[in-house]
Amino acid sequence: MSAAIEANGVSAVFNQRAGTFGVRRRVVAVDDVSLTVPEGMALGIVGESGCGKSTFARLLLGLLAPSGGDVRVGGQVLQAMDRQARARLIQPVFQDPASSLNPRRRVGEIVALPLRAAGVARSERRERALSMLSRVGLTPEMATRYPGQLSGGQRQRVAIARALVLEPRILICDEPTSALDVSVQAQILNLLAELRASFNLTLVMISHNLAVVEHVADEIAIMYLGRVVERGAAESVFAAPHHPYTKALLASVLTPEPGLGLPDLPLGEAVPDPANIPAGCRFHPRCPVAIPRCATEAPARGDVECHLVQSVPT
Amino acid sequence: MSPVLEVRDLRVRFGSMAAVRGIDLAIERGQTHCLVGESGCGKSVSALAVMRLLPRGAKREAGAIRFAGEDIARLPERAMRRLRGDRMAMIFQEPMTSLNPAYTIGSQMTEVLRAHRGMGRAAAVERAEAMLTRVGVSAPGMRLGQYPHQLSGGLRQRVMIATALLCEPDLLVADEPTTALDVTVQVGILKLLADLKRDLGLAMLLITHDLGVVARIADVVSVMYAGEIVEHAPVGQLFAEPLHPYTRGLLRAIPVPGKVRRGEKLATIPGIVPRTEVGFRGCAFRDRCEFATQECAEPVAERVEGAHHWRCRLASGWLEAA
Ligand SMILES: Nc1ncnc2c1ncn2[C@@H]1O[C@H](COP(=O)(O)OP(=O)(O)OP(=O)(O)O)[C@@H](O)[C@H]1O
Ligand SMILES: Nc1ncnc2c1ncn2[C@@H]1O[C@H](COP(=O)(O)OP(=O)(O)O)[C@@H](O)[C@H]1O
Ligand code: SF4
Ligand code: SF4
Ligand SMILES: [Mg+2]
Ligand SMILES: [Mg+2]
Repeated sequence: MSAAIEANGVSAVFNQRAGTFGVRRRVVAVDDVSLTVPEGMALGIVGESGCGKSTFARLLLGLLAPSGGDVRVGGQVLQAMDRQARARLIQPVFQDPASSLNPRRRVGEIVALPLRAAGVARSERRERALSMLSRVGLTPEMATRYPGQLSGGQRQRVAIARALVLEPRILICDEPTSALDVSVQAQILNLLAELRASFNLTLVMISHNLAVVEHVADEIAIMYLGRVVERGAAESVFAAPHHPYTKALLASVLTPEPGLGLPDLPLGEAVPDPANIPAGCRFHPRCPVAIPRCATEAPARGDVECHLVQSVPT
Repeated sequence: MSPVLEVRDLRVRFGSMAAVRGIDLAIERGQTHCLVGESGCGKSVSALAVMRLLPRGAKREAGAIRFAGEDIARLPERAMRRLRGDRMAMIFQEPMTSLNPAYTIGSQMTEVLRAHRGMGRAAAVERAEAMLTRVGVSAPGMRLGQYPHQLSGGLRQRVMIATALLCEPDLLVADEPTTALDVTVQVGILKLLADLKRDLGLAMLLITHDLGVVARIADVVSVMYAGEIVEHAPVGQLFAEPLHPYTRGLLRAIPVPGKVRRGEKLATIPGIVPRTEVGFRGCAFRDRCEFATQECAEPVAERVEGAHHWRCRLASGWLEAA
């Protein structure tokens, strides 16, 4: 299987000034991450707020130039491609459809816009936009509405239709259901699964919700402070997590089972700060099973980045 | 024992939009009552109405709000202000709605104690420190000198909880207190709330949209839909045998790790939550309900079996019959 998309040691470093008079901070949002997603696969990326998920998504989309490393799609470096070529290969779906859709354009125009930019003839544009809207479960009548006249779930369907109208190979979804209610979330997750199969899409699905990712992904990557600390087939990561952070994340999922009470999470309180990444293992200030070596020596790169786990190099 | 909070037929509207359409609630000492529902169903408006903190434009009608036996629905604002922050307290999803960014944690906490308890500065500082320690804030002395923005989200939430509990209220209303937090931090805050409820004998009204949270912390649950409580039961009963089709649909739509095989579809509830105008009749769920009949367009009476209440034309046992 060839890699649809691969990240080779990509980093994103921001030089940030905290407040007007603040000191400069060097924020390492994504730290030397390598990942490949084979054609047709769905990769789920999970981690806490601020761990670098959205930044990584922007790197994968070519919306942000990496500070180091590169992203390749079908073997070609993404940054070297022109915008149109990129748009035909890879498209995003973001968390908040309200802010990613132009409120002054009708739904039909929004979905047809990428076609216009790609030079598709006017007559064909309308037809393709309407057919894509129907694929995501929206009626032709809705094409005449403005985004403000739709529900959150319907707006997310519009965003998905817009992303798919050029029939890209790869879809990058950054928290596509986080702003939606459970009953609507399930509709959108089913839709993504269905579209993925019928368009043979390669999918990257980012979420802070492990359960959402589990439902969709073949493979899982767990991010912590800019690095992927564990990766593997979804079933095995869920059935037998190895990294102490993955274990904590899994333990903190509150399944709707009364009687279980609240889990014990022996996690340290330290707040992860990408401007101040701890020496040694970056998780050590919160790790319940850290050993002295963890404070000074970073674990080797691999599918599980922890001194206590026998890991396969990646 | 009479409940700490008892709400009868509470209605709130914004213009012609009926946001809360006649809800009843009762919470006893030492009890966590979860109000759960999807966004816009009226959870926050109900909570604000109980605290008498409704925004301008909201109109509250009829309904009794009894707090510790006294009807506070018509209490003058001055008396309400004495109650709030003292015997009844509220915390929010976003701590910055109740913490002032311009003042240190210390001055905000001690101000509460001076205002409600007339405490001197030294005693107030001591009490604030003790409370911060109680809610698991490390180095409390140092925190008192910090501003809210210098704290992480989880710490801010703890500080807000500590501030709300300074005067040992009888009732704590918590509106989505962990929704903005990471899952690992959420567990810690929920544990804290559960411990405090037990130790202080609080009556707690906890609002959330997350049925996972409900399952793990509630004693009693009220499920809201379009401004009404459609089902109400002790937590075990509600999850073991949901009787309202909406509750049942909601429970099946949650992805649970290991429960649904990949490739299999999640159960969904088609359609969206309707907007209810004043004068809306019948079951608000009927556009989305697979069991709806013409009967459902008429007012639907509440059914009661033991501690289980639900508002649906279907009697218990419908599931087996269906
Ligand atoms: N343009 C920028 N300038 C400075 N810092 C940035 C910038 N973009 C992101 N960061 C920082 O990089 C880190 C990672 O941010 P990112 O948005 O990728 O997190 P995330 O994992 O998507 O979090 P969330 O779950 O909250 O969406 C954060 O500390 C963030 O503040
Ligand atoms: N200040 C306001 N003005 C007008 N409508 C409001 C206001 N606050 C809430 N509403 C409406 O009341 C309904 C219930 O809102 P709310 O209680 O905030 O829902 P939730 O259950 O998500 O907490 C919603 O339809 C909302 O749009
Ligand atoms: S390397 Fe050490 S600190 Fe890091 S996760 Fe493993 S045991 Fe914990
Ligand atoms: S009253 Fe009718 S529409 Fe409402 S939940 Fe029951 S069966 Fe469904
Ligand atoms: Mg993000
Ligand atoms: Mg709310």
